[in-house]
Order: sequence, then C-alpha cells, then structure tokens
Amino acid sequence: MPLIHVDAVSKHFRKGDETITPLDNADLRMNRGEFVSLMGASGTGKSTLLNLIAGIDRPSSGRIVVDGEEITHFSRTRLAAWRARNIGYVFQTHNLIPVLTAYENIELPLLLLPMNRTERRRRVQVALTAVDLLNRANHYPRQLSGGQEQRVGIARAIVTDPTVIVADEPTGDLDAETSAQILSLLQRLNSELGTTLLMATHDADAAEMAGRQLKLDQGRLVELGNPGTVSMHPEAS
Amino acid sequence: MIFFRPLPWEYGIRNLMRRPLRTALTLVALTTVTLMVMVVLGFVRGLDRSLMTGGHPQTAIVFSLGMGENLEYSSVPMQTADLLAASIPGIRQRYGTKYASPELYLGTKVKSTAENKDEMGLVRGVTPAALLVHGNVEMTNGSWPNVNEVLIGRMAATKLGLSAKQTQPGRTLHFEGRTWTISGTFAAAGSTYESEIWCRLDDLQQAMKRQDLSLVALKLDSTDGFKQVNLFCKERLDLELQAICQSDYFATLQEDYRPVRLLSWLVVMLVSGAGIFIGLNTMYGAVVGRIPELAMLQTIGFSRRAAVLSIMQEGTVLAMTAALLASIIAYGLIDQAAVRFTMGAFELQIDATTLLIGYAIALFLGIVGSLPPAIRLFRLSVVDGLRAV
Repeated sequence: MPLIHVDAVSKHFRKGDETITPLDNADLRMNRGEFVSLMGASGTGKSTLLNLIAGIDRPSSGRIVVDGEEITHFSRTRLAAWRARNIGYVFQTHNLIPVLTAYENIELPLLLLPMNRTERRRRVQVALTAVDLLNRANHYPRQLSGGQEQRVGIARAIVTDPTVIVADEPTGDLDAETSAQILSLLQRLNSELGTTLLMATHDADAAEMAGRQLKLDQGRLVELGNPGTVSMHPEAS
Repeated sequence: MIFFRPLPWEYGIRNLMRRPLRTALTLVALTTVTLMVMVVLGFVRGLDRSLMTGGHPQTAIVFSLGMGENLEYSSVPMQTADLLAASIPGIRQRYGTKYASPELYLGTKVKSTAENKDEMGLVRGVTPAALLVHGNVEMTNGSWPNVNEVLIGRMAATKLGLSAKQTQPGRTLHFEGRTWTISGTFAAAGSTYESEIWCRLDDLQQAMKRQDLSLVALKLDSTDGFKQVNLFCKERLDLELQAICQSDYFATLQEDYRPVRLLSWLVVMLVSGAGIFIGLNTMYGAVVGRIPELAMLQTIGFSRRAAVLSIMQEGTVLAMTAALLASIIAYGLIDQAAVRFTMGAFELQIDATTLLIGYAIALFLGIVGSLPPAIRLFRLSVVDGLRAV
C-alpha cells in the first residue's frame, strides 16, 4: 500500500470570471522512503498539489490518502492536528520567526505534540546536528546566512519525525552553491534516515537529485523518462 | 487529538519588540489615554465623595422657608435653635446637652494677608455643638477658635487658591472687615465641610452685624426623628421654617452636578474611542506584516484560534502595560490632587475602584483593538496567507 495516494484529484480556482484548473484528475502514488521531485513551470500547480497533500488546502474533487488516513474530509481542526503529527513543510522562503532563536524555531512543531521539555530538547539537538547547526542554536534568524536559515527550516520540518516532508522550491531563493548544499542535505536525509520527501522545483538539476521525477502538465502528472504516463504507480508495493 | 494548543507566550511578547518605536509610541499613546480615563474617573469619584460623605440620614437641617436648597440666603431667628431643642422629641442628647447646632453660613471674599488677592471663601459661624452634630468633623491641628480666630478646613487652602503653608495655624486671613488668626485645622472625611472656614458664631455675627442664623443642624436619635422635625416646621407656620434631611440635601447638590458627571463619562468614552483606534492601528500593522508567518504557524499545525489568541495577547499585554504605567503615574502624581469647584474643593480619588475601571477599559481597548486584525486573519486561508507579501 502506498504511503501517499492521490486519487483523481482536481482543483479549481475562480479568478474573476475565469475558472483555473491547476490539477485535473491528477493521480499519484508514493511509497515510504521515496524522494520524489515535482517539476513544472510557474503556475502549473506544483504548490497546489503539495498543499493538498500537506493538508493545508482541499481538493475540489478526488481523494487523498496519507499513511492510511483519508484526509480529504477532515475538519480544519483535525487537519491542523494531523499536520502537526504527519507533515514537515519546507518553504521556499524559510518562514522562520524572527523573534525566536534557531532552537526555538525548530522546537515550535514539538510544542504541539505530547512530550516533555527534555524530550523536546533531545529532538531539537538531533535535528540541529542533522543540519550541522548545533553551534548556531541560540542565534536569531537575522544572525544566520540564507543557507543556514533554510537549514533551520529543514530542521524544523524533520524534528517531529513526520510521515512525509513536502518541500516547496526549497532552493528557490538561494545561490547555486548553497542550493547544492541544501539539496545534498535533503538527499542525505532521504538516504540515511529514510525520510519520505516530495519536492517541488522548477530547476532540472535539483529535480535530478530525487529518485523519481514527475512533471505537472496541463493539470496531470507525468513521470519524466516515461512521457506517456498520466497516472504514476510505482512498481513497488 | 490536539484541539487547541496556544502559541508560546514568548512569541507574543517578543513580537512587541519587533517594531520598538511603533510599540513605544503606542504604549505612550495608550498610557496617555488610560491616564486621562483614570483622571476623569478620579474627578468624578472625588466629586461624588465630597458630596456624599457630607450627608447623614440622622441629621436634619432647619432653615427658612422658600430658600430652596440655598442655605446662604436663609435667615432664621437666633432663638430657633433653643426652640427646636426644647420642642422636638428625638433630638439626640448627652449629659443634658442637645445635639443642636446653630450656624451662620455665607460665601464671602477672603483675603490672605500674605497674598494680596481676594478669593471667594465659605465661612461658617458655629458653636462647639457643631462638633456633636457633624460627627465626621475632627480637629487635626491647633485649638478651637477664640475671638477673632478661625478653624480652617483641610481643603480650604485649595478653595482660596492658597498654599498649605499660607493657611497654617498662626497665619491670618481677612474677611468681613476683620483680620482673623488661624487657630487650627480640621478634616471632615473628604466632605465639602473641609473647604470651609469655621469661626465662633457670636464673633461672625458681630463682624457681620447680624443677629440671625442661616440654619440649625440637628442630630436625631433615629431617621424617624425627622418626621417630628418636619411636623414642627409645618405646625409653627409663624416661624417660616422648613426642614431637610442632610443626606437629601447633599443628594440634591449631587443632582445639580449630574451634567458634570455625564460630561465626564462622555470624555471617558471619547478618549477610550481614540484609544481603540490607536490599538487598532498598531495591531493591524503588526498582523499585516506577519500574515505569511502566521500562516506558516498554521501550516506546521497550530490552529487558527492559536494565532488569533496570540494577536489578542499582544494587544492585551500592550494595553495592560499602559494601564500599569498609567496607574503608577495616577497614583503617584495625581491621587489627591486638589480641585476647586463652587461648593468648595475636593481631591481626585485614584482609589481601587478608579484603578479597576481604568484597567478594565485598558483591557477592553487591548481586546477590541486587536479584534479586527484577528478577524481578518481568521478569514484568510492558510494558502492565501503563505502567498501574502
């Protein structure tokens, strides 16, 4: 059974008199431990799909099942609780809280889970070590470089040991060298920790770091290297 | 299942320091607003206190018929006090002394010999029986006045526009063609009596070349005794007297100041309204600049209610800090500041009630000021929030 099952999902937006359909009966199956990249030009619906899988948006039709739970009909409150347990989100603009230190930013998602301060400290230190920022724990975002800020963002995403990490253009705001470091870090998290990763990017080089590369084309997902495929069903499972 | 986990307290507090200048300016503005509210409330409560504490339900005032509540123009014969004491049962007495105080009361120009300027003062000619009838009056300094001496109320200096030093025992005042030496001071539990100058009744009558009284104040055994006083006044039409319960007399005076109180509350409302807009402006600025960040917090699992609560926490903390500063200033600098009015003078009352109302209004400002931006956030979807710049 796939970890993520996106089944005939469509999403429509109203923009004035026009109806935009970034996703049109899109299907996706993704297994635990996979690193999948999602390509596509700006406005093709990459972020929309990520948001639907992360449970911060709802599809117009179709269903999404993550780790056996169909999230499509969850209430807003239940979705928020579900996200806290299951989703790690890496943003393009890291979105760190400027008034909190790196440590406190990473600790934020843990505050939503039932665990004591000692356990939270242990987990934050593990996450900081994983992104190689243990010595920057007490620094505020303004005291960090762009790459370091993004690494804190990644640490915040992995600290709860989520079911899946979705990364929306995680290197979009970084220079080439820092982008390479971040992608290498994501790849390491996937290969060493078995983290399931779904990454949206418009950078072909970044996409190649993933085990599978998908492309959104006219609202449907196409597996790169297999252009005829509309619905992706990995061989495993 | 997590239903509602608030954002860390530090997040809200530290956010206030994100725009230090804006926060500081808002704090100053809210402190000013809360301080103004407290001052106005202190004014109303001080005025009420001075008029309320003067009246006692067991004290009757007998004065001439047809004077309304204007005691200054009242004139009753000198023997009225003895006549009332002898004729009315129910007047309190001790060791054979009836609690009946003949008094001559007038507003007249009083000049401090140290300062060559006239101010309207309130003078009351009394006998020692006044201390029996007006139970809240107590001498705080000096001695009972002899000939050409006066006892001066605690607030009389304010009423006369003089300093406390200029009204110390030994200093002199000039009124009704005579120079009077201050023999002592008295307090009267904050009532309007504290604004008065008391001297011997016979002395004042001589100075004014009058032989009559303004009123006779009677202390009764019970509130029922007032019926007897009233009955006497109605039976003895030849004396042309009327009686009023002292507490009713002061209630009437209080009623006269009702427009002032209403105006004061209007000021409180207008000032509070300005405070709401100040809070609103700051909180809108704080929220609009943080929409992506608040959306991010929702993305990682914090509920929308947690984000809204955090915004309201910021507004409330700011308003309560302003209230704390305002109460320190009000209590330290404004409490008991003296204010003159036609009936005398009173002190601003920055008491527990004033502070409590001030804090409640500040809390209201904090909550109401942060509500519209919080509602805006509540309406915005997480996805739209993440896209917002």
